[in-house]
Amino acid sequence: MSDRSVPRYEAALKVTGRAAYEGEVPAVGLLHAALVEVPIARGDVVAVDASEAERTSGFATMVSYADAEPLKPSPATALIRDRAVHFAGQPVALVVADTLSAARDAARAVRVTTQARPSVTHMAQALNTAYVPAMVGRFPSVSNRGDATAALADADRVVRHRYETAANIHHPLEPHAVVCWWEGDKAVVHTSTQAVFGTRAMIAHAFNMPPADIRVISRLLGGGFGCKGQLWWPWMFLAMLAAKKTGRPVRLELTRAQMFRLVGRRQETVQDLALGFSTNGCLTGIAHHVTAQSSTHAEYSDATAVYTRYLYACPNVTTSHLLVRTNEPQPVPMRAPGTAPGLFALESAMDEAAVRLGFDPVDLRVRNFADHDQEAGRPWSSNSLRDCYCIGAERFGWARRPAQGTAVDGRWRIGWGMASTMYPAIRQAAKVRVQLAADGAVLVQCGTQDMGSGTYTALGQITADALGVPVDRVTVELGDTVLPDGPFSGGSQVTASIFPAAAAATAKLRATIAAMAIADEASPLAGQRLDDLEFRDGSIRSRSGNVGEPWANVLARKGTEGLEAEGESGATQHPDLTATSMGYGAVFVEIGVNAGLGEIRVRRVCGAFAAGRILNPLLARSQYVGGLVGGIGMALHERTETDRATGRMLGETLADYLIPTHADMPEFDIALIEEDDPHLPGSVKGIGMLGTAGIQAAIANAVFHAVGKRVRSLPIRIEDVLGRR
Amino acid sequence: MTSPPFRYARATSVDNAIAKGICNGSAFIAGGTDLLQLWKAGVTAPAEVVDISRLPLSEIDCSNDTLTIGALARLSSVAAHRDVAMHHPLIADTILASASGQIRNMATVGGNLLQRTRCVYFRGQDVPCNKRQPGSGCGARDGVSRQAALFGTSAACVATNASDLAVVLIALDAEINIQGGAGARRVCLSELYRLPGDTPAQDTTLVAGDLITGVIVRNVARFAGRMTYLKVRDRASFEFAVVSVAAALHIENGVIVESRLVAGGIAPLPWRLTQSETMLLGKVPSDAVFVAAGDLAIQGAQPLSENGFKIELLRNSVFRALQTIGGAS
Ligand SMILES: Cc1cc2nc3c(=O)[nH]c(=O)nc-3n(C[C@H](O)[C@H](O)[C@H](O)COP(=O)(O)OP(=O)(O)OC[C@H]3O[C@@H](n4cnc5c(N)ncnc54)[C@H](O)[C@@H]3O)c2cc1C
Ligand code: SF4
Repeated sequence: MSDRSVPRYEAALKVTGRAAYEGEVPAVGLLHAALVEVPIARGDVVAVDASEAERTSGFATMVSYADAEPLKPSPATALIRDRAVHFAGQPVALVVADTLSAARDAARAVRVTTQARPSVTHMAQALNTAYVPAMVGRFPSVSNRGDATAALADADRVVRHRYETAANIHHPLEPHAVVCWWEGDKAVVHTSTQAVFGTRAMIAHAFNMPPADIRVISRLLGGGFGCKGQLWWPWMFLAMLAAKKTGRPVRLELTRAQMFRLVGRRQETVQDLALGFSTNGCLTGIAHHVTAQSSTHAEYSDATAVYTRYLYACPNVTTSHLLVRTNEPQPVPMRAPGTAPGLFALESAMDEAAVRLGFDPVDLRVRNFADHDQEAGRPWSSNSLRDCYCIGAERFGWARRPAQGTAVDGRWRIGWGMASTMYPAIRQAAKVRVQLAADGAVLVQCGTQDMGSGTYTALGQITADALGVPVDRVTVELGDTVLPDGPFSGGSQVTASIFPAAAAATAKLRATIAAMAIADEASPLAGQRLDDLEFRDGSIRSRSGNVGEPWANVLARKGTEGLEAEGESGATQHPDLTATSMGYGAVFVEIGVNAGLGEIRVRRVCGAFAAGRILNPLLARSQYVGGLVGGIGMALHERTETDRATGRMLGETLADYLIPTHADMPEFDIALIEEDDPHLPGSVKGIGMLGTAGIQAAIANAVFHAVGKRVRSLPIRIEDVLGRR
Repeated sequence: MTSPPFRYARATSVDNAIAKGICNGSAFIAGGTDLLQLWKAGVTAPAEVVDISRLPLSEIDCSNDTLTIGALARLSSVAAHRDVAMHHPLIADTILASASGQIRNMATVGGNLLQRTRCVYFRGQDVPCNKRQPGSGCGARDGVSRQAALFGTSAACVATNASDLAVVLIALDAEINIQGGAGARRVCLSELYRLPGDTPAQDTTLVAGDLITGVIVRNVARFAGRMTYLKVRDRASFEFAVVSVAAALHIENGVIVESRLVAGGIAPLPWRLTQSETMLLGKVPSDAVFVAAGDLAIQGAQPLSENGFKIELLRNSVFRALQTIGGAS
């Protein structure tokens, strides 16, 4: 194992159960909160009557739209300021009491009167209302390159199908929680969020107060996957309002059932995809049109068809996104947003095309490799996708792929499939502060947060490397708005964003120490050339002169208390880019289908990923494996159920909503293909999304390979592949 | 969801449990793995929960060809018991294919037999369900019906029974001991369950205060080596059956002289495939005979919009189960 494979910074805390999450922060006089929900899928709240609740023991107060009204209008406050009900199970008030059970008793005693109105509980009921959102993330909703319609009409071969993906739920293990209180006009908010600064900004906006008066803390998260963001804010605001009203700290934690409804989902999609080819296997035209669900109180669209603009060389590509508003919970980004559903369609269709055209699926992809970004018309900063295909195929043994429908193992019919994955590599603005104590101890601080993906470890490692000290000399502080501004945790961009900022801070410190040493008569480095000095093994040394000393000695002789420096780096400036940056991967799977019984089990996975320089192979592997497991869930298990008659979600427990168990996870062979990327600081790209996309199509393609049945709808279940004995 | 508080009482003896259990609004709790879920989901709201878990009813005894399992024996203890593993591997295997290790450590045999349906409407809120709220309607019938039953349903309810163990125990002609206000009685396990009819709220023939004290399985040596429990599920572990089949054959001189076929996941109770069982008698085992048994098994199935695939799945499962145990031994 590489010496870069440093174990998790917080590993001991977590495995010994001593890791404290923000929802566990103790507070004197703490009140507990419970949400009051309404059953109707659409309508208005006429009245919220707490008179009975007030008589329950331990009751402290209730807050509802009447209390939220003074908040400034915004998408984050709309749900709690308005009386409108947008989906079944929507909270309309929050009750606080001395204990959690008292709060729940009181919440049950609140009488809510509603006026129901006709609702739309599924996309299919309102396709005629579909509309084009202005943007899908940072991309335009609609794109046209060349003339795809004409190209498809003229193509030698056309593969045209509809693909569908179900709504999925993020389900981090740690539910959303907040413990908050007011100190005069100032707010202290301990909460599980992927964005402490974003949360602070929204509180400042909603409560109309200076950001400096708000402290948001999120030091450890038990996962996020995209749902610990904006949809949590309204419920957190209610807790803050209750804290203000009572003058006491308030704690709210969502129940597992509420996590199905209140904090987002991966949106349901219906995708029409057409690929046109010449007989020699070259793509001549692509049309990818997506219809997806959004709620009636907010708007969100995954960039589902966007990656179809980039992955393959093709002169004629058209893509579009439509949204249909329903009285269902609001979608938000979920790990591998856009790529997971979009590549399911594209990479399934590529497999169908390979069969039709008589190509090996890998060969067809290599043949259509895009050697530059055809959408923006500029080079890739680096693109090792072909290495991913090649190395993945080699490790998996793809060359030995049996003919379709021939491989069996006992009663199991065996299939192999593969697919590509990709995700943009981008950065946000970040600041990092590094402090050196006179004894050589290092403290590095950044107000980003660690979702559990390894930000503590990576930042500690980057800093230790730059200063030439072992990682255990470095203390890392994250997840607090008193720290320097850091990026939100999303889009696989945190490590790439904080790397240049940390590099800048440590470069300043190295320069300062070096200058001190050179100027210090007592130092063995006195009079040495600045550019000849390096930081290694805790020392500052002259490369040529073979002299040096621990850099702490330099500080100690000067009697300094220590040194401090801040580094800053900017966000990706998309319009100014001279090259497009993405991470890539190829995933190969072997599945078995229990003949006649339709059970599908993944037997073997090999993922080959190329995403810049890998700071820590151990963390990278864990990200890829975790991502692949999530992808298996999306491919074979995860699906929310909604009662279309009432709009109510069903099976809101982890006993009903299936995710892969350990028995569903095969061994994962992960190939890390490292890249030098001159366009990116430190050659760092994000990696967190890559594993979660691609594998869905690889599994679907393997199912076809095993049993000859194309399944174009996720999740793939028993009924989809059940054949005769 | 918020759940109303309940009183907690620990039963001091079987008689004490019965006396408390007869009271209106009381519920026994054994391992609590189902009762507490139902309570948290707001499905059940007992005024008093009577803890029976410490009653001395967890003995497992295998002697004189008879296996007796106390109703409060934990599933994990039963599966790990030497005599069960040796003489009743079917029971051990079935338990090990149920739930998860953690749940089996808590769950009891009696509780398993009395666990309630997994119907997502039953365990949901703000949706109609005649079993949870009589007269509110059946949400599953015209709604999400993938789990729903193919046989034995009524206009009022189409839910399935979820217990794996019950399917196998019924295949083995198990009996249960019951003690209640009217004294002790022993009945066939199959008589414990009832069809929903117009009163789906009532899953069983038990009356208030009835306590299951044990399960009895008599000699099954004639089926030795020819018993299996086939469980088809959506993921590899920790999941209920979509369809399951318990099968046992007694073959003498190359001819089937006795057979048991019971299916799970397709009816409100473990569903005995009597027609298939009867057809097998006197037959020489062969794929053709097993196919015919599968074909008979699905006769009369009444699918809803989402569960039609279970017909084919049941047919194939019966065939596969018989094929697994019906070969040359
Ligand atoms: C996630 C999950 C997955 C599961 N998967 C499976 C599976 O794959 N297969 C399977 O078969 N089961 C499965 N189960 C169900 C599990 O096996 C049952 O919950 C368990 O067996 C119930 O036993 P208990 O002792 O905990 O019952 P409790 O919850 O204590 O009681 C259940 C019911 O039985 C009554 N009761 C209990 N004991 C007696 C008695 N002696 N006399 C009269 N009434 C009594 C109680 O009043 C209550 O109504 C699963 C459960 C969960 C939560
Ligand atoms: S099938 Fe039975 S349990 Fe399910 S909703 Fe209908 S009545 Fe309720």
